[in-house]
Amino acid sequence: MNIQLHDASKEFGSFRALDRLSLQVPSGELTALLGPSGCGKTTLLRVIAGLEFLDRGSLLLDGRDATRTPVQERQIGFVFQHYALFGHLSVFENIAFGLRIKPRSQRLPEPEIRARVLELLAMVQLEHVAQRHPAQLSGGQRQRIAFARALAPRPRLLLLDEPFGALDARVRQDLRQWLRQMHALVPVTTLFVTHDQAEAVDVADRVVVMKQGRVEQSGTMEELLANPVSPFVADFMGGVQLFHGRLENGYVRIGEVRVQAEIPRGNRESAGVGVICIRSHDWRVQRLPGGEESWQTVVRHARPQGAIVRLGLESLQGAGRFDVELTREQYEQDRFQPGETVFAQPSQARVFASGGP
Amino acid sequence: MNLNPHAPTQPYRGITQDPPWIRRSLGGIVILFLTLFLLLPLFFIAAQALSRGFDAYLAALTAPDTRAAIRLTLLTALLVVPLNLAFGICAAWAIVRHQFRGKQLLITLIDLPFAVSPVISGLIFVLLFGAQGALADQLASAEIKIIFAVPGIVLSTLFVTLPFVAKELIPVLQAMDRQEEEAARVLGASPWQSFWKITLPGIRWGVLYGVILCNARAMGEFGAVSVVSGHIRGLTNTMPLHVETLYNEYQGAAAFAVASLLVALALLTLVVKACMERQGHCAIHQTRSGE
Amino acid sequence: MRHRVRFMVAGIVTVWLVLLTGSGSGVPLAAAAEVTLLNVSYDPTRELYQEFNAAFIKHWEAKSGDKVVVRQSHGGSGKQARAVIDGLEADVVTLALAYDIDAIAKKSRLLPTDWRTRLPNKSAPYYSTVVFLVRKGNPKGIHDWNDLVREGVQVITPNPKTSGGARWNYLAAWGYALEKFDRDDTKAREFVTRLFKNAPVLDSGARGATTTFVERRIGDVLLTWENEAHLAIKELGAGEFELVNPSVSILAEPPVALLDGVVDKRNTRKVAAAYLEHLYSPEGQQIAARHFYRPFHPEYVGKEVEQFAKIRLFTIDERFGGWESAQTAHFADGGEFDRMIAASRGAP
Repeated sequence: MNIQLHDASKEFGSFRALDRLSLQVPSGELTALLGPSGCGKTTLLRVIAGLEFLDRGSLLLDGRDATRTPVQERQIGFVFQHYALFGHLSVFENIAFGLRIKPRSQRLPEPEIRARVLELLAMVQLEHVAQRHPAQLSGGQRQRIAFARALAPRPRLLLLDEPFGALDARVRQDLRQWLRQMHALVPVTTLFVTHDQAEAVDVADRVVVMKQGRVEQSGTMEELLANPVSPFVADFMGGVQLFHGRLENGYVRIGEVRVQAEIPRGNRESAGVGVICIRSHDWRVQRLPGGEESWQTVVRHARPQGAIVRLGLESLQGAGRFDVELTREQYEQDRFQPGETVFAQPSQARVFASGGP
Repeated sequence: MNLNPHAPTQPYRGITQDPPWIRRSLGGIVILFLTLFLLLPLFFIAAQALSRGFDAYLAALTAPDTRAAIRLTLLTALLVVPLNLAFGICAAWAIVRHQFRGKQLLITLIDLPFAVSPVISGLIFVLLFGAQGALADQLASAEIKIIFAVPGIVLSTLFVTLPFVAKELIPVLQAMDRQEEEAARVLGASPWQSFWKITLPGIRWGVLYGVILCNARAMGEFGAVSVVSGHIRGLTNTMPLHVETLYNEYQGAAAFAVASLLVALALLTLVVKACMERQGHCAIHQTRSGE
Repeated sequence: MRHRVRFMVAGIVTVWLVLLTGSGSGVPLAAAAEVTLLNVSYDPTRELYQEFNAAFIKHWEAKSGDKVVVRQSHGGSGKQARAVIDGLEADVVTLALAYDIDAIAKKSRLLPTDWRTRLPNKSAPYYSTVVFLVRKGNPKGIHDWNDLVREGVQVITPNPKTSGGARWNYLAAWGYALEKFDRDDTKAREFVTRLFKNAPVLDSGARGATTTFVERRIGDVLLTWENEAHLAIKELGAGEFELVNPSVSILAEPPVALLDGVVDKRNTRKVAAAYLEHLYSPEGQQIAARHFYRPFHPEYVGKEVEQFAKIRLFTIDERFGGWESAQTAHFADGGEFDRMIAASRGAP
């Protein structure tokens, strides 16, 4: 099922959750809706599901107008952040619910329903809990059952609302992998909401970054990392630092430092303020001064974090404080200590003219 | 992994647990209170009821007027409880799930029968439906008898037991996870199916508890029924009224016999409630599907 | 889980249905040629009408072939009158005071205001009076009304505001005082005030007062209807109580009437009229006497008449100018009794 939204708007009182949003989600892919709290991603998901209705604009599912279609007719699977399993039913009955609720004319015969439920239980590797009740399961098990329940009626679209949000880190990791595997097995169009960029990047084929009810950018992960259209997207995809600077004659000036950066066409001759985006790992740090584009800084801290070391630097030339990521090996070569003066040079920078995040 | 976060844990032994002497004296006071005001009167009733022997006890319970009173009490309860159940579910649903002007007024109105003395409740119906009342002419021409007949008894019992189911259900419904209903809807359930298969089972312990309370009050109501009953022996005497009648006729043992039946009903109510609470303890953890 | 709940619900419903059908007698569905009468009466007459109704049913079936069911309702006389006015469909009323039936006539027009003339003896088939019931041996030596105002004597009487019987007690005491103090109202007032001061508790009805005296064993003397006194002795302890007849007492004529508005609507006029007339018959009078009501026709009754001691009886009309004026002067809001209570609350 592919999804199209045109000019979709939704308000809650005076709060605008969706602001003339347009989006296309192609069929068969695993897409992430990414954004900060309050950007409207959950509202968008619920609108697609039919749990909310648009005030203006339209929603098309597989090319057909579904803006006002009742939720029970949309054939969509939905997984909630807090599972929303039916507490008074067994696991088996939970999964069978979508199959049993169909009107008699469309309902599968009982043996087929049983077979389908067992098939799904095998898929989520929880055959042994079929007769238990949700309260007797762990969080991770419940979420897998929630998946199985959503998939049972063979929906053409699967919506996940921060599906791993309520779980601890280790379980979250496992389930992310599991989701990718499931999607490979059952390639139904899947749209899931998250505020965790790492999760989006880890799981999804495509990412849609949202902000204040609108889509900022949509594309594959590589596209967003390589060509963010705004500082917000760059920042949200993570691992970048933003600096405010001035554009002069083709160069960018941050504080007293000059930075060689890609200036978007059309701005080369202009002067003005801009936002400069440098990825944390796009730095070379050394003890000896470099050229004009080398920043003189003082090391504030050096924190090892797994495979990288995070160096906190403070510019002595008015560019402010920022973090630099070095690999372990790079760090081991020089072992910069707090208090030392070092020189850092960005290898790549991207400029967004006259606009802040 | 088989975690159950709601399984009973070890007894808490932190600083807020009372020392043994407090526990024992509190327990002692409670037991003393219960014995004096609950157990002794119950024992007294039983002793009085059997004071003329078991045969007399049975005879009292099977006398025609007593059977008529039992029948009337049961009939009243059978009519009143389902009606108040339906009302309670609708009122709780409207209050919890909808916004409308006058919601606070509705909540206050539901509390009204608690605040008003039962005798006043009965009097209201006399003033409305009595021969000197506001609707006297209409009722007379339609030949409908309400006061001093069974409908009046049912109506006044309905009034005094009105709040029980609604007040039980409102917090239970509020606490219920609405996402379960949303999940059901997405899976293809219509609004009615979602209510019937998900919401109602989700609030079933509140429903059952409310029904039990409503039933207990409906069977035991005296004040309101006394005002509208007419006290016609064998016709408009409920069990509580019949107890009074027997007592006034110096048939003390018979009065206590019927009273013992009412007590037995009350005890049965408590036993059923206790069983349900024990089941509910397990079930309540099952109705919540998340943390 | 679901099954257990369903099972329980089914079980409860089954139990109820069994009890419902098992408790047979209830409203008989309209049987052919079966008539029901409702007799709305006051408290002390329960036993009387239990026996009388059985007798009348037999009598009527023998006479007309129809089956009659007589339903009874008992309560305080005023409360019952009020209920009839509010719509309690009584075919006949057998209350304590003509005043109460007058109220029904006036407020509901269910019977004409001259109803008293329709039956003999101003519609009173039996009469009674107020006597004293004391504990065995009469330890406080109570023999007449003046003993009731002695220090340390506790008098049990219901509340005149709510009980017809209590008003008779009150008027009997006042009437005695009028006689003793040469019609001096002030002295009479003082006398009755002291009497009520000696009352530790005022029950709402005559039967309640009897219960207080007999079962709860409160008080030294009970002012009560003659029939209640005899009944208490017979039922509750022949050895425990004694009846004391005062020198003089009040004549109480509890009247009976049929309500035209009701009997015409229900087509029960014939039966209702016969019912009331049967009270005056030899059988009716004998039953009354057996229940310690003084029969209007003592000649119909055998030696049971001897149980009624000869007491000098005065009427309300002669001492108080009629029930209506007694009611207004003494028991209406702001009347003698209210002032008595107010004064006793103020005085130490």
